Amino acid sequence: MKRTIGCLLWAAVSALAALALGTVALHRGEAINSMWLVLAAACTFALGYRFYGKFIAARVMALDARRATPAERLRDGLDFEPTNQWILFGQHFAAIAGPGPLVGPVLAAQFGYLPGTLWIVAGAVLGGAVQDFTILFASMRRDGKSLGEMAREEIGKLGGFTALATVLLILIILQATVALVVVNALKGSPWGTFTVAATMPIALFMGLYLRHMRPGKVLECSLIGFVLVVAAIFGGQAVSESAALAPVFTLTGTGLAVAIILYGFFGSTLPVWLLLAPRGYLSTFVKLGVIFLLAVGILAVRPELQLPAFTRFTDGTGPIFGGKVFPFCFITIACGAISGFHSLISSGTTPKMIARETHAWPIGYGSMLLEGFVALMALIAASVMQPGVYFAVNSPAGVVGAIPAAAAATISGWGFPVTAEGMASLAQTVGEKTLFFRTGGAPSLALGMAHIFAGAGGRAVLGFWYHFAIMFEALFILTLIDAGTRVGRFMLQDMLGHVSKPLGRTGWMPGVIGASAAIVAAWGYFLYQGVRDPLGGINTLWPLFGISNQLLSAVALCVATTILIKMHRARYAWITGIPLAWLVVVTFTAGWQKIFSPLANVGFLAHAAKLAARNAAQASETRRLIFNDRLDAVVCGVFLLLVATILLDSVRVWIGILRGTRPAKLNEAPFVETSLDLERV
Amino acid sequence: MKRLKKAGALLMALLRELADESAYRRHLAAHGRPHSAAEWRRFSDDRLRARYTRARCC
Repeated sequence: MKRTIGCLLWAAVSALAALALGTVALHRGEAINSMWLVLAAACTFALGYRFYGKFIAARVMALDARRATPAERLRDGLDFEPTNQWILFGQHFAAIAGPGPLVGPVLAAQFGYLPGTLWIVAGAVLGGAVQDFTILFASMRRDGKSLGEMAREEIGKLGGFTALATVLLILIILQATVALVVVNALKGSPWGTFTVAATMPIALFMGLYLRHMRPGKVLECSLIGFVLVVAAIFGGQAVSESAALAPVFTLTGTGLAVAIILYGFFGSTLPVWLLLAPRGYLSTFVKLGVIFLLAVGILAVRPELQLPAFTRFTDGTGPIFGGKVFPFCFITIACGAISGFHSLISSGTTPKMIARETHAWPIGYGSMLLEGFVALMALIAASVMQPGVYFAVNSPAGVVGAIPAAAAATISGWGFPVTAEGMASLAQTVGEKTLFFRTGGAPSLALGMAHIFAGAGGRAVLGFWYHFAIMFEALFILTLIDAGTRVGRFMLQDMLGHVSKPLGRTGWMPGVIGASAAIVAAWGYFLYQGVRDPLGGINTLWPLFGISNQLLSAVALCVATTILIKMHRARYAWITGIPLAWLVVVTFTAGWQKIFSPLANVGFLAHAAKLAARNAAQASETRRLIFNDRLDAVVCGVFLLLVATILLDSVRVWIGILRGTRPAKLNEAPFVETSLDLERV
Repeated sequence: MKRLKKAGALLMALLRELADESAYRRHLAAHGRPHSAAEWRRFSDDRLRARYTRARCC
């Protein structure tokens, strides 16, 4: 009887999923309610989790509840500690949820809401969740080893080195890309700049409070920090209305870029407890709170989507970034569908804290589906705006025209009506001077979120919600920048240590300063290049970041496929093989087009050639732009080369094992029966 | 009501885990030491050193 009810229930969920997906996919013309997207994702994710996730857990990995996990065998009370599965689920989710799933879908909305929605739903179930789950499983069976270590052990030294080099390069591109998002959000905005600047002294105060006044009281300290940050938002409004203070906090893109570069440098060299840790704690809580608030807001307001299912820009002529819906939608939305960075988290802290092997299913597979929801909410937030407003905010002046009236005319000419007066009024409502040319995704996401929050709480507070959303985005992007620079510094020092021992010592100040400066200079260069780019910069950096992130995912899936084959599960290798093949096709197509496309709005080299043909090659600005285009082409080529290397190396290993010419030696920790009492975890 | 209480307790436990307060409690128990400012600093330094050598997700 119970089984029959279960079957009927899942049949109903399947029918609902089909209805919702059909409605989302086939609806044209009139506006559609966002609840259809939520329903389509919820039902598909539930089915994916219950059937596909369980199939992988039971048949492919054969998760064994009797097998002791590293958390039990190597328990040290610090890193290795058996943890309640739902607490660990929350912790893992907090670690994988960064700015990527929020910004990527907003940018990809230039194609309309449908391509992004379908990619998030299908990509998360068949790709992202599979990658996170398999890598978590593999790391858990190897005492919590990192992706790089597993690549070295399972594929070979070349694979290990390639994985390390890929991660370092991606870190550099990631830092520059997200920093540019912050720069474009705060440019010319005294309210936003003051609020974000105020988070620095607040973090320093929190650090000192936690270190000397109330040691160990992190929750209490974070609550105080949150109250101060909210007070800073109100303070920002006062600053923006002050004739004396507003100019001090009205910074240009270049000024903001320099400030963020300096912040990254100090974040990497100052003691962690003083700045990074308190910001990290605060950012985690604010992030989870805002995601929850956004979900509640969408469910309460149930807004209608104003963007069409498809826009004319699926043909590759989009103003936000150039390139057709295939492959560019699939690299623009990485986190939220499939993200290589998740594999670093799945092979980091989480595998060391799993109490039971079977918990890897909800934690690895389930938390990625939740991340898919976050991406969908961001897409909804972008789609509830009038399309004309969306394009006015996200289009660079270099494409639509530098004067608001000209930009409004261009965008209206595309069939998305907008007026300069309407934009000025909206800007005034949210306490900004202008909302034109705010490329990067963060301002439009903030507008969409403010629209939803204000829908639940009144339009009078639109300005507060807009700046609250900007503060939230900037807060955790800056947390990513300071932590990322520090990680990059450690990786560089680790490499330099092979050349000169002192340079490898993380406590030797000249080494620390030199390595920090090198990492900051590397991403700072790309940031500066983006800030000075007349096309907004994000059109160059986001695709590069998307390609690199997806290529890291390809590295992770190579490792996972190799492990499945070594486990004598070659008949299930399609589980990781299909997303791997898809990513290789998507990223190599995107990478090839970014380098060699003859269209100047897509290909780096074609754009460089167009600039050179203007006969202005003598101007230093043009020469710099040409050099940057060529540099971007080289970086993109290096990414492709690195991943081609690890892919070929993996294929060599697979063929060897399948032919029997290479031993299928697994590097798993030996089986030990568990004696852990789950009730006591 | 009982379920709500359980969910609330789970949420607080998650927040304490994210805030490292649970890890600190485990650290004190494992080493048999009482809480003090110096002990927190020792724990926090070790914990943060390990945390900030790992990449953060985008």
